[in-house]
Amino acid sequence: MQSRNRIAYAFLAPYLLIFTAFWLWPIIDSFLLSFQNTRVNPWTFSPGLNWGRLSRDPAFYNALKNTLLILVVQVPVMITLATIMAVLLNSPLLKARGLFRFAFFAPVVVGEVAYAAVFRLMFNLNFGIINKLLNTVGIPSVSWFAEKPPAMALLIIAVTWRWAGYNAIIILAGLQSIPNDVYEAATLDRVSKIRQFFFITLPLLRPIILFCMVLSIIGSMQLFTEPFLITDRGGPGGGTETLGLFLYRQGFVSLNFGYASAIAYTIAALAVLISLLNLWLGREPK
Amino acid sequence: MAELSLKNVVKRFGNFEIIRDASLEVSDGEFVVFVGPSGCGKSTLLRMIAGLEDITGGEIWIGGAVVNDVEPADRGIAMVFQSYALYPHMTVEQNLGFGLRMTGNPKADTERRIRRAAEILQITELLDRRPRQLSGGQRQRVAIGRAIVREPRVFLFDEPLSNLDAELRVQMRVEISRLHKELGTTMIYVTHDQTEAMTLADKIVVLRGGNIEQIGAPLDLYDDPANQFVAGFVGSPKMNFMAARIIGKTPDSVTVSLVNQDAVQLTLPVRDVPAIGEMVTLGVRPEHFAEAGQGDADLAVKVDVAEHLGNTSYIYANVADGEQLVIEREESRNEINRDKFVVAIKSSRAYLFDGAGKRLK
Amino acid sequence: MKSKSRSTATRSLLLHLALTPLAIIWLFPLWMMVVFSTMPDHGIFSPRIELLPSTHFAENFRNLQADTNFLRALTISITVAVVYTVLSVMLTSMAGWALARYRFLGRSIVVAIILGTITLPYFVVVIPQFIMVAREFKMSNSWIALVVPPLFNSLGVLFMRQAFTMMPSELFDAARVEGVKEWQIFLRIALPLARPTMAALSIILFLASWNNYLWPLLINSRPDMMTAPVALGTLIGFTKVSWGGIMAGAVVLTGPMLVVFVLLQRHFIAGIAAGAVK
Repeated sequence: MQSRNRIAYAFLAPYLLIFTAFWLWPIIDSFLLSFQNTRVNPWTFSPGLNWGRLSRDPAFYNALKNTLLILVVQVPVMITLATIMAVLLNSPLLKARGLFRFAFFAPVVVGEVAYAAVFRLMFNLNFGIINKLLNTVGIPSVSWFAEKPPAMALLIIAVTWRWAGYNAIIILAGLQSIPNDVYEAATLDRVSKIRQFFFITLPLLRPIILFCMVLSIIGSMQLFTEPFLITDRGGPGGGTETLGLFLYRQGFVSLNFGYASAIAYTIAALAVLISLLNLWLGREPK
Repeated sequence: MAELSLKNVVKRFGNFEIIRDASLEVSDGEFVVFVGPSGCGKSTLLRMIAGLEDITGGEIWIGGAVVNDVEPADRGIAMVFQSYALYPHMTVEQNLGFGLRMTGNPKADTERRIRRAAEILQITELLDRRPRQLSGGQRQRVAIGRAIVREPRVFLFDEPLSNLDAELRVQMRVEISRLHKELGTTMIYVTHDQTEAMTLADKIVVLRGGNIEQIGAPLDLYDDPANQFVAGFVGSPKMNFMAARIIGKTPDSVTVSLVNQDAVQLTLPVRDVPAIGEMVTLGVRPEHFAEAGQGDADLAVKVDVAEHLGNTSYIYANVADGEQLVIEREESRNEINRDKFVVAIKSSRAYLFDGAGKRLK
Repeated sequence: MKSKSRSTATRSLLLHLALTPLAIIWLFPLWMMVVFSTMPDHGIFSPRIELLPSTHFAENFRNLQADTNFLRALTISITVAVVYTVLSVMLTSMAGWALARYRFLGRSIVVAIILGTITLPYFVVVIPQFIMVAREFKMSNSWIALVVPPLFNSLGVLFMRQAFTMMPSELFDAARVEGVKEWQIFLRIALPLARPTMAALSIILFLASWNNYLWPLLINSRPDMMTAPVALGTLIGFTKVSWGGIMAGAVVLTGPMLVVFVLLQRHFIAGIAAGAVK
């Protein structure tokens, strides 16, 4: 049976090789890089350089502020919306269920580039369908790309459209795992449907919703393609620059790998920190 | 076909001993049943014989050779699992032949063996079906068929009937018995059901907490249990135990009185006895109580409930608060006087156990 | 009873009144994608409100093909997604099998590392990955660079491990007693039984590869080695390109995935939901 152990390693080895080379080692390497001066050749160890610069860089603080702003607004809005979608989709009264599911879940399969392009066109200042529709109800055109607040709103709208259905799928799966007899018992006890939602459904969904929030927080911290393509590389004038975009610029435009690594670790640390904070706030009441 | 023996077999997971020093001889063609409560190690012992679990210490011999380091497939065993373990994506025919085909057995021989097994078990017409299209009993037959196909020296059964309903269980039990007669192969069978053990076995091995408590023929265990555990485990309903105290002894007998009714005194032919005044346990099987006055001591009990099954009745009664008895009566349809019910104990049908549960003889 | 059925009807009406507008808003961008892809550029950039498709899809696609070699990019995307999916399912199901069904030294460490790092942002690894592949191996603009590094994805390992753990172990013991080799047990019993999980996993992995943007953008910058999303992305932001063409490209990228989604919705949803149930 010792030989069975060897067989286990044989099954595991090919994946483990790739996993180590392209995931584990880079995690470590990235950490090491953040302490190196990568602007000289050869790279030198210079522990304070990147982290010191990060702590003083106004561009970093701008990106951090934008990212956190998007996160704080977008995640709660999207999770609320996703919960509503899931609860309504789960109703036994619903007709044409397949159609509604398609409407909400379809964005999950749409690629970032494709949807970025559509949103750019839809929100175009002069010819975009959104402004045209706003005009028909008497609202003046919004310059979605030229001013910061509307540009941020646009990003939030776009990300919410793309990911609400994804979270709704997860929450719906959670809803369907709640046994029906709990509701039957509550109905016999004359608990109204609304109260059933707040006092049965929501508490039982808590872990799933927390999970969705953590996923969304990690996702928002990494926001890159949307500001890159929709608001044209973080425009207007850095108004929608996110940490992801800032990292991309430092790493792959300026090719300053050490500094970009410090940014990467900041993103990771913040994602973990905010997730933990969120889990702590949402913990089971004692 | 082969004899099998365990020599001081030990199984340990970390510091936890699952099997302690198990030794056993099984002769060729014997039907041996491992029985015991869940967690007693019986399945682990079977899986060690199969080669599915490593052996921590001791030796397992099959057909005159140590098989400790032999792969399961090379031990000449076949196993029937509790869940049947049929491959759901294969037909019955493919299930039966899978092992032989994967190990390169000649095609014609594989087909011959499948046909033979199907005939023995009368499942020929099921060969093209998949497991999910079969009833529980049919699945069980296929699982046994898969073992027969291997033409093993030893059959191993791991609680094979526990997933069947009561009626099928009796039917399959008879069938396994018939199969054993037909094939004459050594069989080792694990169950927690003492009825299965009593009806199937040539030899029963009673296990508890990783220890072999007693090995013997079914009726020997019934008549002559080595300890209180075996006495309680073999027989249904189980043996009654009453607290007693030794009040007198001679070189070849001992007199005890019941703790809860000290007027009840009984003299038993027991030689090896602790001192006067020691606490012991008196055991009487429900079916061994006699009519009042026809035994060696009368015992008045208070009746709780009487169950009348037609041919027999079970009377649940108390010697005193907290000490309950089950008394089996033949066909007693009459109303029972709940307060003045008297039975008799025969000393020839009573057992004595010491404080540690060891049988006193 | 009467009042009960009436309140049910009211609730049903309210439900549909709430959901229908939301569904229309959610479908709107996809609908507009189709509409834009069939309109000539002067139609897209006209002051009129156009909500119905026109007939210029083929022309738009030809424009797109002129702006960037989109057919070549599509070929690359399809090949990469297929090869990646097959390889990833193979590797991760083997690893998942090992972690589910064998007790060996280091097993729990491997599981702990995978679980502990799975939520780390991709940005943490992308820089060293880039340095390794582009600078040390000098493999920019290669097929290997597109396919191999993303194989680190451990979702499949957890997914397959879960599926194999749920299978009754007696099934594999039965085969072992019969002398079936371990790799045959894996191929002939475990994998066939895990087919639904593999289907769900394949869909998720294919979609991830098909839509992958950042890594292909970084590593394959030569126009003849761009994947379709990267090729399309390069056009966004330029003024002298055909937006109808871009939309046609978006439809070509999205349409097949939507069809797959509709046909295999159950696997899709199972794949996404299972990520949460770990």
